[in-house]
Amino acid sequence: MNTRLFLMIALALCIGVVQGSEAQTKKLNVVTTLNYLKYVTEAVGGDHVSVIALANPRQDPHYVTPTPRMNEVTTNADLFIENGLSLDLWAKNVVDASGNPNIGPGSPGHLIATINVPVKELPTEVSRAWGDIHPQGNPHIWLDPFNIKIVAENIGARLKELDPANGDYYDKHLDAFKHRLDEKMFGSELLDLLGKKGGDILTRKAKDGDLVSWLASRHLDSKLGGWMKMALPLQGKKIISYHKTYVYFADRFGLSIAGELEEKPGIPPPPQHRDDVVALVKREGIKVILNDNFYATDAADYVASKTGAKVIVTYLDVWANEDVSTYENLITYLLEKVLQAQS
Amino acid sequence: MSRFYVSGMLTFLAVAAFAQAPDSTNGDVNELRSEIRKLKEEVQSLRADTLGVSSQEDELDAVEERLDKRLQELENKIDAVSRSTAPIALNPKMTAFINFAARHDDKTVYDATGNTVISNKPFLRTVEMELGSAVDPYAEAVTIISLEDEAGQGYSIDAEEAYALIKRLPIIESAPLGLKLKLGRYRAPLGVDNVTHLHDLPWTTRPLVVSKFFGTEHGEFFESGFNPVGLDAQIFLPSPVPGATFEANADVVRGGDIALSQGQLTHQPAYVGRLTLSEDWNNEHLLVLGASAYTETGSQNTHLFGGDLTYKWAPTERRESHSFVAGAEAYVADRFISDSLRAFVKENPVGWFGYLQYQCSYWTYLGVRYDWVEEPTNDAQVTKAISAYVSYYTTEFLRFRLGFEHKSSDALVASLNNTNSIIFEANVVFGSHPVEPYWVNR
Repeated sequence: MNTRLFLMIALALCIGVVQGSEAQTKKLNVVTTLNYLKYVTEAVGGDHVSVIALANPRQDPHYVTPTPRMNEVTTNADLFIENGLSLDLWAKNVVDASGNPNIGPGSPGHLIATINVPVKELPTEVSRAWGDIHPQGNPHIWLDPFNIKIVAENIGARLKELDPANGDYYDKHLDAFKHRLDEKMFGSELLDLLGKKGGDILTRKAKDGDLVSWLASRHLDSKLGGWMKMALPLQGKKIISYHKTYVYFADRFGLSIAGELEEKPGIPPPPQHRDDVVALVKREGIKVILNDNFYATDAADYVASKTGAKVIVTYLDVWANEDVSTYENLITYLLEKVLQAQS
Repeated sequence: MSRFYVSGMLTFLAVAAFAQAPDSTNGDVNELRSEIRKLKEEVQSLRADTLGVSSQEDELDAVEERLDKRLQELENKIDAVSRSTAPIALNPKMTAFINFAARHDDKTVYDATGNTVISNKPFLRTVEMELGSAVDPYAEAVTIISLEDEAGQGYSIDAEEAYALIKRLPIIESAPLGLKLKLGRYRAPLGVDNVTHLHDLPWTTRPLVVSKFFGTEHGEFFESGFNPVGLDAQIFLPSPVPGATFEANADVVRGGDIALSQGQLTHQPAYVGRLTLSEDWNNEHLLVLGASAYTETGSQNTHLFGGDLTYKWAPTERRESHSFVAGAEAYVADRFISDSLRAFVKENPVGWFGYLQYQCSYWTYLGVRYDWVEEPTNDAQVTKAISAYVSYYTTEFLRFRLGFEHKSSDALVASLNNTNSIIFEANVVFGSHPVEPYWVNR
């Protein structure tokens, strides 16, 4: 009797331990629309998330065809993350077709990553006469590292809400990721000199456009490193882009977008507009035309042939090729491409 | 500058920053931002006056930090307001479709009733208004009201589709296997063409087998297909092919509405089933295989079995320039019709179509389609058609299409047979226009 009781208790304890360890090791299934969202989610979620991105990183994020495979992988998602701002409208088709009741809009299992990101180019009026306009503002927010910090905070907060037991873990990884971005942005030496709040101070100064003068006033300008130092030669330089993709990138790193090849968003440029761009490039001495990899380069090549400007075909999402295997590499890659073309 | 004065200014600015920023739901958003920016400029000018006095610089840093936080709070409020509390936020999303077509024929062409001439005329074939919205946390609803051209004899209003999509089951609060329930009137999951609306077709006419077997009022030039009232359940099943997606549809619908069984006394209900196996590679290649069936009992039974294949290729990069679609659907029916002696005669009509489409530029698509169908009323009579077309898109919202069709039929007298037709189509979409599902082949 005592032996039987002992065995029953031991068995119950074993089951409890197994279930406990299963609960601890069970990962949150996360599905994201774009690959940069997958990268940030993995950076914040670490070992406690399993993430799938639906879009191919080399394809146009505006036009992804939702397939049954995408619908099926989303069926078991605990969290669905989309960019929002009317960029990945196809996400709704996937959410609807998945039959997953936990990831409907407005539920904890559904996150629009760009909540609270300061959006640029918010139209006061909207009409399709202006092309494929984004009615909620320019959605290409991820090319500004400061916006990625906000996205990471949004993802961290949602992971904590869904998995409170690992809240401290997510906080720690979020802080580490933000610190990593600050180091890439300003250089680790400068951050170390300014201490714990250095990242916040430098971010504020950079957003206000005061970074260089503030550093100079404190005799810290020689300590600036990272992307901000890389971007110093680009201050005020004018570029042309095919689509309105680089607004946030240009604003952050001091470039000036003189115009787009698309006369209206989403519509290939007509010949008259291409010639207008040729005249603009010649007039302003513009050296760089940025062309996203998923757009045809005919118009950009035409302008380049008439002006001598360089066409740079760029990837915009993490894992699009071996040069952009991380978000940090993506920003470095874009800066290097622009710097090379300017030289 | 005295420390008292600086402290007083700092206190005033901090209070002003919090007091002057009104609730962002009222007033001009840009004015709020402008006020805070002016406050920050005042701080910076104070900073210039106190340059080198590190304690006052620290205080200015603290004030500036509070101003930034306040600005961020206001941005958050503005963001929340603009995203979710606009007056029309709960209205359904609306999309309107206008489809116009004109034809030129070298012989007289009648509609499916045989009573109305439709050759050499323009038609406003359909005007559709689609409304869609979430009903509550459990369901969404879609309504598609169409105004349809009755072969030039006026217009009729039809509920093309009107259904609730149940995504979460009450009580159990979940939906196993990705279960989705569709309840109402909808285009039945028989093949791929039938679930596609006329304005979304990559051709100007419905395939002959769809209009003749599934249903039509005025023939394949007008809206056709099978859109019963019923209940559709769709689930994901374990796939027999690793890496592929396997789905099943099972429907209970009102019997007697499909063209094959009309004129018969029908027992209720009828049933529809579909299995779909699909796989995509790198979001570049998509292959879909389907098997569909319809069954209905009554004074005589009606059965329909079909298979379909669709292959799509669109390059991951530069996809706006080229893409390719190939597909085919085939059906065999088992039905009875009454002969002149009021006896039932069994017919086993077969019908199929195949097509190719190539996108040769951002704007332009070229395609061909071949139709072959045995008449449902006499499976010894065959109707064939071959068509070619070019479609031009200014954007996804405006399309022009020019097509040519040659049609021959054993069911027509010589004077009406072997017709050649040129068809021009214009399709306009305006409104919110949701993303097209994968079976729409632009």
